[in-house]
Amino acid sequence: MRLGLVIDLDTCVGCHACAVACKQWNTSGTTGPLTDESPYGAAPSGVWFNRVRHYEVGDYPHTKTVNMPLSCMHCDDAACVTVCPTGASYKRGEDGIVLVDQDKCMGCSLCAWACPYGARELDPRDGVMKKCTLCIDRIYDDALAPEDRQPACVITCPAHARHFGDFDDPDSAVSRLSRERGGRKLMPELGYEPTNTYLPPRSAPAVPTADVRRGSLMSSVKDWVNKAIAR
Amino acid sequence: MTALPAFEDHDRQQTRYTTCYMCACRCGIKVTVENNQVRFIQGNRNHPVNKGVLCAKGNAGIMKQQSPARLRYPMRRKPGSERGSGEFEPISWDEALDQLTERLARIRATDPKKLAFFTGRDQMQALTGLWAAQFGTINWAAHGGFCSVNMAAAGLYTMGHAFWEFGDPDWERTKYFMLWGVAEDHASNPIKAGIDTLKRRGAKFVSINPVRTGYQAVADEWVPIRPGTDGLLALSMVHVLLRHDRFDWDYLVRYTNAPWLVVDTPGQKGHGLILRDRDGNPLAWDLELGDMVDASLPEILPALFGDYTAPDGRPVRTVMSLLAERYLDDAYAPENIAPRCGVPAEQIERLALEMAHVAFREAIEIECEWTDAYGRTHDRFVGRPVSMHAMRGISAHSNGFQTCRAIHLLQILLGTIDVPGGHLSKPPYPRHIPPGIKPARDMAPNTPLKSPPLGFPTGPEDLVIDAGGNPLRLDKAYSWDAPLANHGLMHMVITNAVKGDPYPIDTLMLYMANMSWNSTMNTAQVMGMLREKGEDGEYRIPFLVVSDAFHAEIVNFADLVLPDTTYLERHDTISMLDRPISEPHAAADSIRQPVLEPDRDVRPWQEVLVELAGRLGFPAFTTGDGARRYASYQDFIVNFQKEPGIGFLAGWRGAQGQNSLRGDPNPNQWQEYADHQCFFVHHLEDSQKYYRFCNRDYLELARHAGWVGSTDPIVLELYSETQQRFKLAGQGLYDGPMPKRPEHKARLVNHFDPLPIWYAPLEQGRVDLEAYPFHAITQRPMFMYHSWDSQNAWLRQICAQNFLYMNRGRATSMGIADQSWVWVESHHGRIRVQVKLMEGVEPDTVWTWNALGKQSGAWGLARDADESRKGFLLNHLISELLPQRGDGLDNVTNSDPITGQAAWYDLRVRITPAKPGEVGAWPQFEPVRPLPGMPDSPDQVRYQTHRRVNLRRSLWDVLTRGKGRA
Amino acid sequence: MHPALSVILFTVLSGAGYGLFSLVTLLHLTGLYPAPGPTELMTQLGLALALITFGLFSSTLHLHNPKNAWRAVMRVRTSWLSREAVCALSFYPFALIYLWQIPRAGVEVGPLMVVVGGMALFLALLTVFTTGMIYASLKTIRQWNTALTPANYLLLGLALGATALAAVHAGFGGRSEGLVLLALGLVLLAGVMKGLYYLWIREVTGPSLNTATGFTQARVRLLDQGHTAGTFLTREFGFDPGARRIFRVRLGVFGFGFLLPLLLMGMVLAGGSSLWLALALVSALAGIGLERWLFFAEARHGVMLYHGQRT
Repeated sequence: MRLGLVIDLDTCVGCHACAVACKQWNTSGTTGPLTDESPYGAAPSGVWFNRVRHYEVGDYPHTKTVNMPLSCMHCDDAACVTVCPTGASYKRGEDGIVLVDQDKCMGCSLCAWACPYGARELDPRDGVMKKCTLCIDRIYDDALAPEDRQPACVITCPAHARHFGDFDDPDSAVSRLSRERGGRKLMPELGYEPTNTYLPPRSAPAVPTADVRRGSLMSSVKDWVNKAIAR
Repeated sequence: MTALPAFEDHDRQQTRYTTCYMCACRCGIKVTVENNQVRFIQGNRNHPVNKGVLCAKGNAGIMKQQSPARLRYPMRRKPGSERGSGEFEPISWDEALDQLTERLARIRATDPKKLAFFTGRDQMQALTGLWAAQFGTINWAAHGGFCSVNMAAAGLYTMGHAFWEFGDPDWERTKYFMLWGVAEDHASNPIKAGIDTLKRRGAKFVSINPVRTGYQAVADEWVPIRPGTDGLLALSMVHVLLRHDRFDWDYLVRYTNAPWLVVDTPGQKGHGLILRDRDGNPLAWDLELGDMVDASLPEILPALFGDYTAPDGRPVRTVMSLLAERYLDDAYAPENIAPRCGVPAEQIERLALEMAHVAFREAIEIECEWTDAYGRTHDRFVGRPVSMHAMRGISAHSNGFQTCRAIHLLQILLGTIDVPGGHLSKPPYPRHIPPGIKPARDMAPNTPLKSPPLGFPTGPEDLVIDAGGNPLRLDKAYSWDAPLANHGLMHMVITNAVKGDPYPIDTLMLYMANMSWNSTMNTAQVMGMLREKGEDGEYRIPFLVVSDAFHAEIVNFADLVLPDTTYLERHDTISMLDRPISEPHAAADSIRQPVLEPDRDVRPWQEVLVELAGRLGFPAFTTGDGARRYASYQDFIVNFQKEPGIGFLAGWRGAQGQNSLRGDPNPNQWQEYADHQCFFVHHLEDSQKYYRFCNRDYLELARHAGWVGSTDPIVLELYSETQQRFKLAGQGLYDGPMPKRPEHKARLVNHFDPLPIWYAPLEQGRVDLEAYPFHAITQRPMFMYHSWDSQNAWLRQICAQNFLYMNRGRATSMGIADQSWVWVESHHGRIRVQVKLMEGVEPDTVWTWNALGKQSGAWGLARDADESRKGFLLNHLISELLPQRGDGLDNVTNSDPITGQAAWYDLRVRITPAKPGEVGAWPQFEPVRPLPGMPDSPDQVRYQTHRRVNLRRSLWDVLTRGKGRA
Repeated sequence: MHPALSVILFTVLSGAGYGLFSLVTLLHLTGLYPAPGPTELMTQLGLALALITFGLFSSTLHLHNPKNAWRAVMRVRTSWLSREAVCALSFYPFALIYLWQIPRAGVEVGPLMVVVGGMALFLALLTVFTTGMIYASLKTIRQWNTALTPANYLLLGLALGATALAAVHAGFGGRSEGLVLLALGLVLLAGVMKGLYYLWIREVTGPSLNTATGFTQARVRLLDQGHTAGTFLTREFGFDPGARRIFRVRLGVFGFGFLLPLLLMGMVLAGGSSLWLALALVSALAGIGLERWLFFAEARHGVMLYHGQRT
């Protein structure tokens, strides 16, 4: 299996629901708590696994705002795992999820240095690296209803812009969406083969108007002749 | 595969359903509790509003529950201390309620209007309104007057429902969706889900908004319009449709007042009113009979266009003739309005014709037998799949009512109201136009009002004014200043009370309304007003009661603080009598139930209201012998009946819970809701789903459920006679009350119109536009909107400081750099703010997030929190009165002259770079002092409900990099 | 990249130590060490070990969970940091045996010394190389992702080591033109390599905000990074000293790190006092310290593209 996310940039409105849902689930999750520093003071800053960033493509007025949630891409060739000296960072063979073993990390941050996506954040209090677990503590929890065995970010997304599944299965929703919508990988030139895939905005549908344009335009009320339409 | 450990000990977790309250969407939530703490809040998949999803705010409920700003016990201002000095002492609930009861009883027994009771973000207006009516004061309203009354009023006076709570686009079927002025506000999750639904189908999404963030980001076409000109754009599209003869002729004849005849005698009494027969029925011209007929009869053949002569000899014209004549005028031609809107003429014409194409060339039909209100059976619903939604960008202008009417006009001409693919009403809507409730006027000591404080005037005789034409309400709602102020003018309450205009009051009760900060205009001076004393040394507002769950800025000014619970600690109803959670094809209501016990000495406000109502002996809350009728809020909800069989909750009525919508009280009703995930849904039959304004089966259901008073069809009002009555009053041509002051006459003549008009936002007529070249508006951050109480520790990490966003090209040409500090000045004041430059904003517009700025020391935040040191409020620049010109309008509210809707977005400003060294937000205020007994806010939060459970791994796994793919 | 003092101290001092140890060992084993005395050799090697040990200790200060530092040897199969740890640890037994042998065997080089000395020499250089490779292997940082990085680390370590070697030798009253020439040559070579490096990193390569977001057809700008305060990422990667400061520090790097030591060594060669070599060492350490600060400070991490940094 190669589990990962498909994120639909055509419908992501940038509401941050996924980011907060992630924070909520994972602060009591398998790598929790996610420490928040200065929560009520100046410059509040905590550990998040998923952050939504906002970009503008093109110049006014031909500009499009793009909302881009970024979390661990669970790369096939995960450099963060390659560089980890302690073996705390690892990629699971059975499903491709990249995890940090909280008991083994020495907090050197090298994995974060190796990650171009900003997916890893060091918990200053625990001194260990934390990151997206793809909600491994949800997706394999048989006590949850089958539809709830998905990452918290996916079940919460109000625009249904997030999809979870197995990219190794060509018939899975994520594989199909990725294929049909021209899914993109971010920074492909680095060769890390990220699993998560971003669907580009759909092109605007064309709506014809020729069939409702009239040659001779109405210019006065008198141009209309009443029709006999029963009320 | 290595076996995974049990990450969660589900046996130690409990799951309860309730309703979210992080904003006004009222999504269903499923809350998992562990060790008496919230483990996880997720959307309820079965819930009609959110269908399982949840926004950022809902997901941050834990941090609301953890907030150090939660009030802990009742407090009173320390005797001898000055109001606003922040010196409080805790008191017991008994003491607090005794003191309040005594004061309120005295007011009620002498002059009930001396109590003003205004509420903010709450969702219990049916209860608070009932309470005020039982008290006997007309000085009650909720926050709609400064929020979105223009949308509600324009909808209810045009089509019997409205955007957002009263109606929704048909997301499942619409093929063309136009979103007007939604500043990332209502609705939250339903719009997001809806946009996904329609985009999946390849429908086109057009967004009209000066700013391209949020929903506009994913629009297929963005129309960066200048603020306040949307009405012109809509009417220009009407022009295009008329020029190309593209409107739904059948729909207009059958369901609207387009064929009705209007008296055409300019300058005479009765001009512009509907020609009616002796019984008051409207008349139309029947093409077959060649005579006038009762326009409300079925099967007639009414002329849509034409000039005729009434039996009494007066000339009459059809509504459609008036309408076509007006909007065919060149003034509305795209090329003539383009410079004003900033939208190219070609684009205006194309958008209008695209909608015409979708409405008329891509019409949809649903085969379904249904019966119209006249008993005729039809075999299909014809749908015109063009839909719209509009909100704050339309609403918050002083021309918002007419602009919203213009949008509805566009929708109706296209035949898209309550049809498949169009804009659908949500039960209990549609209602008759307008709903038949008149605002209360008369008051007497110890006597309930005869009708609710708020209602729907249809003419000057319904105004709440005295014989001299002076306002009777403190907020001057339903006066000549704001005749159709359906939601009151909460933003005027403090100013008017302090001025004693129209009269001084004794006690102001505020609930969940931050009226000394982000919910008021003119914030700095309003803070001063709250401290202001008269010559007798008494405060101008002698007693201020604040109920809130959190340490808001307004708490600092309270004389009595009544601490509310959080939403996870209370019972609530989201009632059909109020603002239910219905969907277009289902009537639905819901409850909240506590999932946690409060750890503080707090009480839910609704419980306090029921308690006070009993203590004060309100008739509806006491038995014949004066004893309390209801033991608690829950008891009240179960047993109170508005009319026989109709109560706050529509589900599981009847002694055994066997009845829906109408039935006897059911003592187990709360339990039934709790057992059914806290909501009730009544699905409509297929035959009841569309054309409900003229659908017999639906209207009969609606009458049964108490949503409408009769099964008469609801005729959509392209032409508003109500508007014309006020216009005539302004012209001195009305048989009834008429204004005497010239400025009132002028306002009625210039702003009321039976057909939608556009006029420039009022501030623009009273300031030098060259001196103040920018429009300044606010948007609601999706991750905080309506959730700015508690300054949520997670949400404020996303944004603890707001910026002023400017168009990059425009700012650069002015020498303003990204992230630099600038002065922003209006006619009313100046602020210093930090700028961010962006592409996606109309060049004449600047904007910021609303309500991010906080007063130092409030909300449990550190004194140097970013919200107070760097964040800011635009409110300081906005006056609650019109810009001063030394004329009769100087003392008139800065609001829509029709509805009294606060005109937040009319603001004009100029922007100049700050000098080197001038950094930080300005103005700054004295920090709010900590409240006694409140805990210090923590320097670090490490929330978890159980210790983490780690995965087990083999040594081999540690030594290798993981196997990659298995 | 945030220039952490602990890492600067570690790489500069341990680099100098490894350089010194390997040069001393090399000269000693090959008999090229001018007039070696046991005390001098032990001082040289002791100093080298002190620098190495202090540097390694300093490196643990940047670990946020040092109690797991021992685990750093677990992943030699893939991790250059792990390899560095293993090399650094493996170096010690050979180095200590070598040091232990000197008072016993005197300055005579026996077979045991050849073996352990050779191993220590090899592991010292390998450790410096692995340190360089930790940085060079990161594709996320274009300024580091080059063979010039380990080359720089090796040459700078050797140059510092050679300068220290000459200075200590002078401290023992020795006056060896050969050692000074060696130092002069290595400093010059290291300076040239550093110059090449600075030229090389001028060319902007690698990901852009376009490839980072997948929108390659138009200009992409950051609107909002999704948080108003800093995060771990901005604190770790967001350091930007600005072009002017970079330029000034580079002047310092060349001035103190290369030109002044070269000048001073030139003076010594021209007959000046050998004590100038001590000043040359101090200057070189300061200059390479600046170099190391700059190595981090001007490195641009790819994730900063997502935060709006343009290159």
